[in-house]
Amino acid sequence: MDNEFGAVETEMKRGFLQLLVLIVLEKDAYGYAMVRAFRDLGYEVEENTLYPLLRRLEKRGLIAGKWEMGEERPRKFYAVTAAGREMRAGLLQIWKKQDEIVKHIIKENKHA
Amino acid sequence: MHKKLETYLEEIGHFLSGREEREEILADIRGHILEKAMGGNGPVDEAELEKAIAAYGAPRRVAEKYLDGRPVIAPAFQRHLFRYATFLFAVHLVFIACALVFKQSFMVFPFLFVPRLGIFEAVMYLPMAFLADFGAAALALHLLTRSGKEIKLPWPKFAVDLDEVKPAAARTIAARIATLVGAGIMLALTALGVHLYAKFSTIFLIGFNSEKFRPLLLPRPGQLISLAILVMMAAGTIVLFIKAFNASRRLACWIDLVADGSALVLIGLTLRQPFASLFAVHLPPRSLAWLHITLTVSLLFIALMVAIDLVANAVRLGRKRLAR
Repeated sequence: MDNEFGAVETEMKRGFLQLLVLIVLEKDAYGYAMVRAFRDLGYEVEENTLYPLLRRLEKRGLIAGKWEMGEERPRKFYAVTAAGREMRAGLLQIWKKQDEIVKHIIKENKHA
Repeated sequence: MHKKLETYLEEIGHFLSGREEREEILADIRGHILEKAMGGNGPVDEAELEKAIAAYGAPRRVAEKYLDGRPVIAPAFQRHLFRYATFLFAVHLVFIACALVFKQSFMVFPFLFVPRLGIFEAVMYLPMAFLADFGAAALALHLLTRSGKEIKLPWPKFAVDLDEVKPAAARTIAARIATLVGAGIMLALTALGVHLYAKFSTIFLIGFNSEKFRPLLLPRPGQLISLAILVMMAAGTIVLFIKAFNASRRLACWIDLVADGSALVLIGLTLRQPFASLFAVHLPPRSLAWLHITLTVSLLFIALMVAIDLVANAVRLGRKRLAR
């Protein structure tokens, strides 16, 4: 049962994390800062999942990355692009619609 | 420079060889782990660094997240792999038989080449032919997968459906007892065979009085044929015991596979022996001619059965692996 839950949770998280990244990157941020920010919000992200996702989003032109040579070490900062904003708007609509559907069905179930 | 971190990155890099963004990926990971190990500020603590590396995950798993997870063969085609390989092998078998009977080589360039074969070479050629057919079927399905086209492959129905991975049927107590009795008899026969082999270096003996038992065959061919039979008997015994106790069917398949391979080699070596110098006892020429035919046909029949069993076991094992 735990394995089954874990598999479904991973599936759900995959899409949600993309949306989350596109929202968070309205302000420039680098990988580790994002992991911490998500954790502070109570959302645990597998560290080794975020970086490949950032790379894929960058390849698709949805976010843009830029290395910055800080005092201690170089960090890659990312920001959402115009294409990313467009994608985010579409995804948010789907997410809202899904949320409405789930709430509606749960409400109907309670009255049944 | 942190040796443990660099070793870890090197391991991840190994799985990303050939990718142009390899260094950048490693730089991402290096930055993340160092940042985490520092805990925000100050020098990097070695214990924290180890913890951060462990939390990031096993190198192969990490690298796989960057790789395109495209399958080598599309799931829809995977069930065709063994079906097509078995079909190709059947065609191959016909050509091998022709090469043997007509003493000719056959070529269908670039798909098939069967050289002129002797009996020994033909027996040895069978497992290799199956591997070649399996490779050809896998390559064709891989190319179809890569093409990305919507293709509905035919599903030929023939022979026993080895592709079906059926769950183990529940065995009744009577069936188990029968299998156990069979295993016991096989064990006794194998033990007797081993005893004879230890005493006479062969299991083929003539003479009615135990004091006058003599080997029927000369030492080398006698040893080879005896070993082939003993290997098959021992494997059969083990497989029966495994079935009787409902233990691993997979293990039974592996044991069968190894025994089949060993038996094929030993039968091949036996068939290579000059027949005239096979017997340790004097036989009249007419009986010798009959024996020659009978023995060759019997050994070839056994070799064919063993080869089929070997291929069937290989298919079962591979299919189960794919089904998991």
